[in-house]
Amino acid sequence: MSWDVIADNLGLYAEGAKLTLFLTVASLAIAFLLSMPLALGRNSHNAVLRHAIGAYTVVFRGTPLLVQLFLIYYGLAQFSAIRESILWPCLSSPLVCVIATFVLNTTAYTTEIFAGALRHLPPGEVEAARAYGMSPFTRARRILMPAMLTRSLALYGNETVMMLHATSLASTVTLLEVTGVARNITLNYYIMFEPYVTAAAIYLVMTLTLVLLFQLAQARWAGYLQARLG
Amino acid sequence: MTIVRALILGGLLAVSPLAPAFAEQVTIATDATFPPFESVDANGKLVGYDIELMEAICKAAELDCNIIAAAWDGMIPGLTAGKYDALISQLTVTEARRKVMAFSDIYSHPTFRFVGKKGANLDIKPGGLAGKVIAVQTGTPMDAFVTKTFPEATIKRYDGGSAPYLELTAGRADLHMSYEAQITHSFLKGDGAKDFELVGPQYTGKDAPEFGEGVAIALNRRSAELLEKINDGLAKIRDNGELAAIDAKYFGKN
Repeated sequence: MSWDVIADNLGLYAEGAKLTLFLTVASLAIAFLLSMPLALGRNSHNAVLRHAIGAYTVVFRGTPLLVQLFLIYYGLAQFSAIRESILWPCLSSPLVCVIATFVLNTTAYTTEIFAGALRHLPPGEVEAARAYGMSPFTRARRILMPAMLTRSLALYGNETVMMLHATSLASTVTLLEVTGVARNITLNYYIMFEPYVTAAAIYLVMTLTLVLLFQLAQARWAGYLQARLG
Repeated sequence: MTIVRALILGGLLAVSPLAPAFAEQVTIATDATFPPFESVDANGKLVGYDIELMEAICKAAELDCNIIAAAWDGMIPGLTAGKYDALISQLTVTEARRKVMAFSDIYSHPTFRFVGKKGANLDIKPGGLAGKVIAVQTGTPMDAFVTKTFPEATIKRYDGGSAPYLELTAGRADLHMSYEAQITHSFLKGDGAKDFELVGPQYTGKDAPEFGEGVAIALNRRSAELLEKINDGLAKIRDNGELAAIDAKYFGKN
């Protein structure tokens, strides 16, 4: 066992953990903001809007994240029109490509999670809001959104854990997050077990923290659903 | 079900090859992202200089060899863990690598070069290339050399041998360092390479210790018997001209 190699490289792991957290939080935050209006649109009476959003989520949920990342990072770079466009300074950065891909992917899942929760709201809650004479915007803000978010907390919590784990794919396009650090150590010291076990432990700590946060959130905001079940 | 399974097993046993001189099959791994040395062709078959060389050695040494593709990052740990018996993947022999694995006799002495955009006029000297992006395959002699020699440059590292070229043509990297033979006989022959050329000096193991002593087949340090057989096979194909013929086929040398 070569644990001294890990001890010597703990600084790299700390940097990697920071990047992993940044990728996770940035992707989830952007996706969260995008998913709320998209979930409403997914249930809209406007068939064009509903199906356009449906088509987007099918494409991004129907293809592997790694394939999406390679298409956006390596695939787009193949076209000289893109390399010469004003977007290239952004798209040439692996960090931008990775976050864009993660956002597109997790937004697709989150939109469906939120939209599913909306569809399962008791009709009475929505009718009561209408009967109160709330405008569609007020209805969305005060009734639909809070009910949708509390009801999808458990599923959404799973999606955030999946996103955290999916950030390990960023290492395939040169970003040194936790998995990238482990792979670099593997390639320079020819050991596999120690670097990846260390990476796994870091992911586990992060995952457990996320799960705990969601349990607290659930107790705080979705407690009324529990009481109803009991 | 049991009968079907028995028939299938029986069938498999019946077609297994005759026992070779070396009792077991020898599993040899290669990172097939490095044409013309090792790559996968359109039919999924491993092809290239190293593959032909290894097949010739196995035949000369009467070894039953199974050459398989493996990912670069798992190759050396796989060898030390005993998953593979040997590696042939243009592995340069260095001090650091000798500590974890054994090497056969050296079969070639590569030169290393930068490849970059034509007319970029980069000043390639130690400590230079400030702010330039150099793409290399992680954990290779090229990686070790540029990391030490160009601390002012940004070094981007990739798991495979082909990704750095994609980055070079995309303009994400200014330079890529690799085996000169790989650059000239693979990348520069491709369609996307007309704006690129070899740049800077030729490097060999004499210029920097990172470039090692030469290229050899890597083995587990416990496999003394297999090492001897592979060295015998290598000596045989060197004597009977097969090695020279493979060299000529790929690189046009005599």
